Amino acid sequence: MLTKSSARRFFLLGTMACSAAFVLLTLDTIKQVPKRTHEENLTPEVIRGKNLWDTSNCMGCHTIMGEGAYYAPELTKVFERRGETFIKSILRDPEAMYPGQRKMVNYHFSQQEIDDITAFLKWIGEVDLNGFPAKPDLGNVATAIHSTGSSPEGAVLPPVTFSQVCVACHAVGGAGGKVGPALDDIGLRKDAAYLSRWLTDPQAIKADSQMPKLPLSEKDIKDIVDYLMTLKNEVKK
Amino acid sequence: MKYSSQKVAYWFFATCMLLFGLQIIYGFIMGFAHMGMDGLHPIIPFNVARAVHTNLLVMWLLAGFMGAAYFIVPDECEREIIWPKLAYVQLISFVTVGVVAIVGYHFFWWEGRKFLEIPRPLDYLVVVNVLLFVANIGLTIWKSKRHTTTSLVLFFGLLTAALLYLPGMISTDNQTMDSYWRWWVVHLWVEGVWELIMGAILSFLLIKLTGVDREVIEKWLYIIVGFTFLSGILGTGHHYYYIGTPRYWLIIGGLFSALEPLAFLGMAIYAIAMAKKGGRSHPNQTALSWTIGCSVMSFVGAGFLGFAHTLPQVNMYTHGTLVTAMHGHMAFWGAYAMLILAIITYAMPLLTGRNLFTRQSATFAFWTSNIGMTAMTVAFGIAGVAQVYLERRMGLDFLQVQKEIEVHFLGLVLAAVLFTAGIVAFIYNFIGYGFPSNESLKKYSGDVS
Repeated sequence: MLTKSSARRFFLLGTMACSAAFVLLTLDTIKQVPKRTHEENLTPEVIRGKNLWDTSNCMGCHTIMGEGAYYAPELTKVFERRGETFIKSILRDPEAMYPGQRKMVNYHFSQQEIDDITAFLKWIGEVDLNGFPAKPDLGNVATAIHSTGSSPEGAVLPPVTFSQVCVACHAVGGAGGKVGPALDDIGLRKDAAYLSRWLTDPQAIKADSQMPKLPLSEKDIKDIVDYLMTLKNEVKK
Repeated sequence: MKYSSQKVAYWFFATCMLLFGLQIIYGFIMGFAHMGMDGLHPIIPFNVARAVHTNLLVMWLLAGFMGAAYFIVPDECEREIIWPKLAYVQLISFVTVGVVAIVGYHFFWWEGRKFLEIPRPLDYLVVVNVLLFVANIGLTIWKSKRHTTTSLVLFFGLLTAALLYLPGMISTDNQTMDSYWRWWVVHLWVEGVWELIMGAILSFLLIKLTGVDREVIEKWLYIIVGFTFLSGILGTGHHYYYIGTPRYWLIIGGLFSALEPLAFLGMAIYAIAMAKKGGRSHPNQTALSWTIGCSVMSFVGAGFLGFAHTLPQVNMYTHGTLVTAMHGHMAFWGAYAMLILAIITYAMPLLTGRNLFTRQSATFAFWTSNIGMTAMTVAFGIAGVAQVYLERRMGLDFLQVQKEIEVHFLGLVLAAVLFTAGIVAFIYNFIGYGFPSNESLKKYSGDVS
């Protein structure tokens, strides 16, 4: 029968062995992390961005590398997913970007601070996370957007700005946000001139529109309008 | 109560009740925000409510551990606490630091590191405070002639908990290393040294409530805390799957955290076996319910539900979703909240000399809070699994998925109302006991008659 002293020995030896293994693995991890995280890219901008990330408690709503709270989107790959234009716009005025939706605190960041946080998000997107986050593997709704075209024979790919910014609120072929109207038949409803005026300044056309005025370049607008004009799928009512 | 210095435990427990109550209020704020009712956003945005909710939890559990130590150590060591006045000073400073931190969060004074949001200047005060506490307890044990395993395991748990707070203060510009050290604190606390504290408090309660021979209970205490460390230390690896740390953590973390439920299962079997063996002759059956309940619910919440999403292949999809909230709520409730409520239920009659544990409201508190928490866990689970499939596997937009699962937060809030009713009954009983008095000295020994 097991005695109390052998039970104690089991506890002490087990704990010491595991602690020693843990410390050794930690030393190895410390050695490997600079390469895996591209520490050479930790510019003063990125570091200031990380400090802003912490002092604004972004983790209190968002997750990053899957860690944080579950109230707002995961941001590890946000630079790739939404791009610079979107990130900077939402940091400038969060509520304008998702009108009437879940709210984000407006910290009134300066332009420099917005650039810093964006740099931090770009850096974190390049860290080797062993494959996290996994690409959606059921239904492929997210990737459908890249193959949605005007007609079955010639699929037109949306410009990058559209896939990053516009889809945050608008859906095409069922993929994208539901904040604004779906755009599957926009090419039937509007003409190119109207759409480029609209994208330049929505409120100039419709004062009470909730769509934000986005910092899009002339080329962005032209590319997006060209793409929108190809969307002529009748929406079944 | 045998020693008058044990009375300080009452004030720590009262602090627990107050902070726990506040914690629940902030939980409701978040539940409603998830349902789309975020009217408080301009005053208490979600990240404030979240920081307050989790930090209040950590604070009241620590206050509970301290109160439990001040109650248990004199009893085990058969002497008064060495510096009883210091214990009061330490409580007051602990509460002051806590209040400053909580109020500070409302003004965005924080570090923004999950669970360790307390700003750096206050970190140092926490360290000083906890060192005073550890010294007070440690010297009391040192000066006594009786060194029991229970008191030594308790002390070792408290001391290592204090030491493990330090890695969280390592400063780094790399988010990966920041997270790496943060888990040294958070994981090695809740799935490591806090379980020593838990094991010791459980063993004290079982010795007192079941009357089983100390040698038997303490022998199994070693085995269980041995398993805890065997699985828990390298089990930290389950936080290092996807944060930029090397790939071998997937194997190490997966393997060792798969063993973690065994430690909790052992704890549950141990508590139930001892209660059976003892024949339940102690009058305070409510305290025994909380004790057994703690061991069972910690197995379900921390052991089973933790295991449900700890394998790397599963965690790849559940990491950073509401599935974590499901596991987190029942794990903390079962392992630590119920433990503190157990020791409070055991200690209050002895501290105050009043006997309220046969009241109906005491039974009501136990069952209602447990049923409520179980229902909350189910609501979180459904919301979490739906989120995993819609967002992570089908690629739907985050906000769209949140709209889809809003209804489960209605379920959550309803379950939380039930839970709150139980906790209100518990606090009502606590207040009913009144203040501790010297009259209760020697009135009840607290042992099985």
